Amino acid sequence: MAKLLVVDDEANIRLLYAQELSDEGYQVVTAASALEAVEKLEAESFDLAVLDIKLKNESGIELLQRIVKERHTLPVILCTAFSCYKDDFSAWLADGYVVKSSDMQELKDEIARVLAKKQKAATN
Amino acid sequence: MDWECCWSKDEIAPESCPYVGEGEEDLYASHRRRVVEKCVECPRFKNDLARMKGSGYPLSDVLPFILTEFQEQKAQMGAMLSFLNSKTREIKFLREVGLVLQTSMDLDEVLSIAMTAITAGKGFGMNRAFLLMTDKERRNIRGYLGVGPKDYEEAWRTWEDIGRSNFSLKELARDFQKTKLSSEKVKFHDILNQLTVPLAEQGHIFNRALHGKKPILVENALNNPDLDRGLARILGVDCFLVMPLISRNRRIGVIIADNCITHKPITLQDMQSLETFAFPVAFALERASLYERLQEEVAKQKAANLKLREQQELIVKMEKMALVGKITSSIAHSIRNPLMVIGGFARTLLKGSPEDDEKRSYLESIVRETRQLEDVLSEVLDYSESLFPVMDFWDLNELIATVLADLEVGMEQAGVVCRQELSPELPMVRIDYKQISYCLKTITSTALAAMARGGELRVESMQDGDGVMLRISDSGKPLTKKAQEALTAPFFQTQEMGEGVGLSLCKTILERQGNSLSIISRPGGGNTYSIRLLTRKENI
Repeated sequence: MAKLLVVDDEANIRLLYAQELSDEGYQVVTAASALEAVEKLEAESFDLAVLDIKLKNESGIELLQRIVKERHTLPVILCTAFSCYKDDFSAWLADGYVVKSSDMQELKDEIARVLAKKQKAATN
Repeated sequence: MDWECCWSKDEIAPESCPYVGEGEEDLYASHRRRVVEKCVECPRFKNDLARMKGSGYPLSDVLPFILTEFQEQKAQMGAMLSFLNSKTREIKFLREVGLVLQTSMDLDEVLSIAMTAITAGKGFGMNRAFLLMTDKERRNIRGYLGVGPKDYEEAWRTWEDIGRSNFSLKELARDFQKTKLSSEKVKFHDILNQLTVPLAEQGHIFNRALHGKKPILVENALNNPDLDRGLARILGVDCFLVMPLISRNRRIGVIIADNCITHKPITLQDMQSLETFAFPVAFALERASLYERLQEEVAKQKAANLKLREQQELIVKMEKMALVGKITSSIAHSIRNPLMVIGGFARTLLKGSPEDDEKRSYLESIVRETRQLEDVLSEVLDYSESLFPVMDFWDLNELIATVLADLEVGMEQAGVVCRQELSPELPMVRIDYKQISYCLKTITSTALAAMARGGELRVESMQDGDGVMLRISDSGKPLTKKAQEALTAPFFQTQEMGEGVGLSLCKTILERQGNSLSIISRPGGGNTYSIRLLTRKENI
């Protein structure tokens, strides 16, 4: 069972992610801030992280940069309310980019795609 | 004694004096004037004097002295009068020319009057004249204009024409400016091109004349070892006058005048008259050139002001747009998250509820409405995104094919036939691919909406000057004026244009990238949307 870290400062959204992604068969751990996310990343190991861009004290992009620097094997998907960051150079570090939507199918597809890619890379 | 001449008679009968001509009939009754004007020259009077001498008249010995002296004085008076008349004519001519020169700001008019005055018979009567002017950088003196005939044939023809026309000098100058100025500039091109001389070349005759502020008359140039024969060879004459044009110590240029056709010698008087004339000409030329430069500067200033105003307007517009972008982006963010929660949980609930649950329809409504709100939000965010296009060169026909392929199903359902007329030889267009795709999609959707009962959609691409034209035509209901006006107002909606920012966003996107969108609605039915796209980088 793949283990996901979901970072979003909105409690309801974390709840929704946890519910929907658990239904998909993933083990979901949530974090409300970049700091909490870093703590969890240091304590446990994950297969993939889903990050929001607008976090309270640190932007998701900054967190993404830290993850890439320190744990470059962990795939990251940015899931945000803005579509404009897609063309931002700094967002290109992420393995996937999804615009937030009540229909979470796109995010689920993206998670499956990125995990499959990761697995393929590992077997090679 | 009976005298042969009528000098002794107070009044005479007509025809008694053969020397009284037509128009002088008053002399018959005017004794004094008749004697002074006619009798003193009359051979009969001389005969009478001789007879007087023989008859012993006491004054008859001295009268011939008085008569001779009188005749000499009269001749001198006549010569002075003629000189005075010629000077009066010259002053009148200078005044006439001077008046135009003083008032004109037009360089061509000044040139025309000056050169006509030098070369016309009614002016200084020189055969040919060249005007050379110092260039803007004040480095060289350059041939500017030549006036006069090229050969004998042209000379006689021109002089005959002028003689017949009976134009005044002013009229001649005006005629010259209107009909000949441009051709004369070309006519002596070969000579004028060879007359360029650096102002620093002190020894050259032009610079000597300018430095000495005096005209130089060159005579017998081809045989004079002291002179540079080059200039005489270029001009094809060995006698010419070099007249400096100086205004307030500024070297304006030089006039070269010669009699290349008649070979009439250039007199000291010609030189003096031309020298007097050179002062107002130099002044007028300087003023006209300065005025011309002033006009150029004013035009540049105007253009710069216009550009500045446009830039300012653009900045204001961009600031407004940036503000709109910021607001919409912030609103979108604060709305998208709650929407995601509402819609997301509704979907979760919907998934878990049994098929026969009555409340499913409520949940379905929440999901549907949330989805719709999210679509509107995406559009609003697209609007703010349009403020930051990513420009690159793209194949427009490929873009059209991709967008139309996406809409194929919708067109089929609406019973719309799509006809593509794409020019195969199009240059690449400089666009933001995503944004132009959005525009084409929105316009095509609007066109499809106008053809609810089916119809024909025509999509054309063609070269348009240095740009590319994309035209989308529908056969549906024409857009109302109100709908067309809505194009210029963001977030303005009409029923026929559907929801959201639609066409107004398209127009904004296109214009921000230096392109344009225009709509023509035909009263009989159908609308044509024309988009003109740029093929190279513009200063926008």
